[in-house]
Amino acid sequence: MSCSPFDLRDYYFKDLAENERRLTEVHVKTCAHCREELERLRGAEAALLALPDEEIPQRIGFVSDPVFQPSAFRRGWDALWGSSARLGFASAAMLSAALVVFSLTRPVPQFIAPAPALTRAGMQAEMQTDFSKRLNDAVAKAVAESETRQARQTRELLAASETRHALETQAMMVRVQEYLDVEKKRMNTLILASNDAASVNKDTR
Amino acid sequence: MILRAVEDADLIRKARRGDVEAYNLLISRWERRVYNYLLRIVANREDALDLSQDVFLKAYQNLRKLDDPARFAPWLYRIAHNEAYSLFRKRRPEGETEELQPEAMEGAATVGGNAVFPVELTLAVSGALGRLTADQRETVILKIYQGFKFEEIAEIVAAPVSTVKSRLYTALDLLKTELAPVKARGAS
Repeated sequence: MSCSPFDLRDYYFKDLAENERRLTEVHVKTCAHCREELERLRGAEAALLALPDEEIPQRIGFVSDPVFQPSAFRRGWDALWGSSARLGFASAAMLSAALVVFSLTRPVPQFIAPAPALTRAGMQAEMQTDFSKRLNDAVAKAVAESETRQARQTRELLAASETRHALETQAMMVRVQEYLDVEKKRMNTLILASNDAASVNKDTR
Repeated sequence: MILRAVEDADLIRKARRGDVEAYNLLISRWERRVYNYLLRIVANREDALDLSQDVFLKAYQNLRKLDDPARFAPWLYRIAHNEAYSLFRKRRPEGETEELQPEAMEGAATVGGNAVFPVELTLAVSGALGRLTADQRETVILKIYQGFKFEEIAEIVAAPVSTVKSRLYTALDLLKTELAPVKARGAS
């Protein structure tokens, strides 16, 4: 058991306040037992340090891959966040936006499962799944847009065709009516001429 | 003291903006220390290397969560600690509820039967470390070999400073007894 006023091991590892360290130092100078204890601590540490560090057998490094890089939005956001001059404004704007959104929506609290730890293989699989999902979404969206565009064009063509047909029918009806009017006038003229001829023959007789 | 032209904090800021080369430079500064920390905990080179790679990958993925770049070292070792103990849990036999222990370190850290440190003193040290509990051994490694402060070790292993000190001092009491004869022979 140490007779030091403070823990000798705290003294050895420099974990005492200044006044405590001084008091312990004074004590150690006059106490052979505590000096031996300190010597044993030094010996144990020296023995431990005989175990050398090893060189790492393979250097660790990452390649510059856009997949692992933050998006342009994220980089811009980080740059903004890192700027102390704009930090206050950004914080105030975010707080205001958050208050407005929260007051309008008031979402129901939901449990969100923590994301599982990702390995490289897991990340690749996730990226593949994400890429496939995005691709499928993009294809579906493009097909839907194309179908919508085709339907709209068909509707427009049908409407134009119907309009043209109605105009042509109307024009034809006008022409028929004009023809009938002409024919009617011609018949009336013929009837009048026939009547005139009959009366002339009667007078002659 | 070695003056660094670019501080770790600058590299962290660059890495956060997607500068992979800055992160690679940061790795080159820490990989040897992290590897040796893990090697002394798991006592297996392949595991230590695999874990080191996982540690730096996770650190990169979570770099934005690091509040204070000046606290990078304890933050990085906290990840390493979690990775190592996660490995212990995976390898623990089903139903075992006792304290988690790394691989046996009898004699020396070995790879395929070959001693990692084939000198008498280092063998003795390695063996003595192997007879400590996992928590005691990790505390000794973090304090003696890695030079962390007690508060930083407490942060890394997620335990109170008093617990950290207790583990270290108990371990040193055991090591003093075990290593005294070997040290005496080495000195003579």
